[in-house]
This record gives sequence, structure tokens and C-alpha cells, in this order.
Amino acid sequence: MLPVYLRVLLVLGALFALVVVGRQVKKEKILVEDAVFWVVLAAIFVILAVFPDLAIVLAHNLGFMSASNFVYLAIIVLLLWKVFTNSGEISRLKTKVNELAQEIALAHMDEKEKPEDDR
Amino acid sequence: MKILAVVPAYNEEECLEGTVSSLQNTCPEVDCLIVNDGSKDSTWDVVRRNGFNGACLPINTGLTSAFKTGMKYALRHDYDAVVQFDADGQHLPAYIPVMAHELEEQGAAMVIASRYLDGTVKPSGARGAGSRLITFLIKLTTGAKITDPTSGMRMYNREMIRLFSTAFDLAPEPDMVALVARRYGKVVEIQATMQERQGGESYLKLGNVIKYMSRTCLSILMSRFLR
Repeated sequence: MLPVYLRVLLVLGALFALVVVGRQVKKEKILVEDAVFWVVLAAIFVILAVFPDLAIVLAHNLGFMSASNFVYLAIIVLLLWKVFTNSGEISRLKTKVNELAQEIALAHMDEKEKPEDDR
Repeated sequence: MKILAVVPAYNEEECLEGTVSSLQNTCPEVDCLIVNDGSKDSTWDVVRRNGFNGACLPINTGLTSAFKTGMKYALRHDYDAVVQFDADGQHLPAYIPVMAHELEEQGAAMVIASRYLDGTVKPSGARGAGSRLITFLIKLTTGAKITDPTSGMRMYNREMIRLFSTAFDLAPEPDMVALVARRYGKVVEIQATMQERQGGESYLKLGNVIKYMSRTCLSILMSRFLR
């Protein structure tokens, strides 16, 4: 059974994370649509701290030696997935930035070709 | 046949003028487009001072994107062929007409100027070993025999111009040669010699060679199954 002070710590940690995320949203450093992931994650931590039996029963039923192993694995998988989707998003952003740069370069050429009377 | 030479240039102030002048003198019928890839030196000044035809990317975006700019230009101005031409003076313009002739004659998608086709020069050193490995992998995955896959002097036909302008992920690199040979058409080589670079710094320093070669080999293998 999870000691009470650890559960309190977990709740406080999750609340702190929520505050940090909220502040970044307010300061317009992250889009709400991207902050949703972190808010949901923090909410899951709060739920786990309040009802630790959820994780314990689930871990036991799945055959894990201890609940913490199960929780670690779940979090690692979740974060790996997040990093991978981020990678994909960066790829697409890179492509878009390059595409824009190319179009700017080509558009400037067209501009120069049309009026013959520059200076 | 309307041919465009695309010359990507990143910090090439030292050799760009000589390269483009010799290109224009040797092949006056070939149009030239210099793509300044956000250079930090006076590359763009060289272009303007000489009245060269140039496009200027506002940021440094890398060779692939710079080359794509040239391909888009070629597509929009209705060119029949594009030749990828280094700014550092390695490539000899005299081979462009030979490549164009071969492109038409053989109905090829791409013609590569190969240093090793006739066997008088052998690939040597770390880059040579990498080059042989890539040749072997291309043979293995596509059946095509490409003696000089790392040669940067390549000519592309109309279909390839369209493909390069629109594709999400197509780089003017050896792994693309494998993809083209397998999916898009014939890849032909002609024998050519190349010069030492006339100035500036090469990207392919020894440390980078291993990185570059392993990336390329992996990419060829991945392409075989995923693309």
C-alpha cells in the first residue's frame, strides 16, 4: 500500500505540473491543443494518488511483480509515443519552413523579372 | 532541349564566380540557376555583381531544399532537363552535353557522371569503401549497376523534375538513386573526370564520411521495404 505522504507528494506534484502548464498557456508559450496532453497526464497522476488501488489491482491482474513496475512501464511507453509523434511533427514543420523559404526565393525572382526599371 | 543547371551554393564566395563563368563559356546553350542557400558570406553579392541568374533563400535550409528550389524553377519555366552542378568547381561543364545526349538517347530518368565507369580510376580511401558499399547495396536492392552513386553531378528528365518539385522526401543523394532505379526509370552513367574543389571547405570530412555512409546505407535498405 502506498504510504500517505507519498500520495500527498504525488498530488502536490501533479497540481504543481498543472499550475506550470496553465501558466505557459496564459503566457502564450504553448497552444491549448498541445497543453491538453499534459493536463490529462497530470489528472491521471492525481487519480492514481487518490485511488492507488486502481494501479495495484490492474498491475496484479496483468501479472506484474509490483505496481510501480507497471506504472513506470506505462509512463515510459506513453513518453516514447509522445516523443515519436513530436519527431513527426518536427519533420512536417521543417518541410513547411523549407517550402516557405523556397517560395519566397522564387517569388522574389518573379518580382525582379517583371519591372525592368529597377534603379 | 532546354537544359537548366542548378547550382546550390552555401558559403561559396571563393569559387562560385569561376565555376559559373566556365559553365556559361563552355555551354552557352545551358541556362544556369544559382540557389543561394542562406549563405553567411558574400555569395549573394557575387551572384548580383556578375548578373547571374539566382534565387536567394532567406534562411539556410540545406542542400535538399536548395535543390528543390531549382527543381521548382525548372518545372515552372518548362525545362526538359536539370543538371545538378556543384558550386565548388569539381564538376566539368563539358560533360553536360554528353549527359543530355545520353538522357535523350536512352530515355533515361537520370544520367550520372561517373568517375569509375570505365575502371581506369578506382574508388579509394574511406569514401571509396563507402562508395563500393553503396554500389553493392543498390545492386542488391534494385539490380541496377551504379559505379559512382556518390557523384554529385546528375542530370534529371522531366518526370524527375516534377517528382522532385512535389515529393515530401526526395534528396539529391545516393539513396535517391536507388529509389529512382527501382521505381521511376532507367539510371544511366557516363564516364567523366572531376576536379579537386577549387576553394572553400568540403562537407565530407573524415568524421562525417562514416555518418554519411551509414545513413545512406540504412536509408537504401529502409527505402527498399517502405517506399
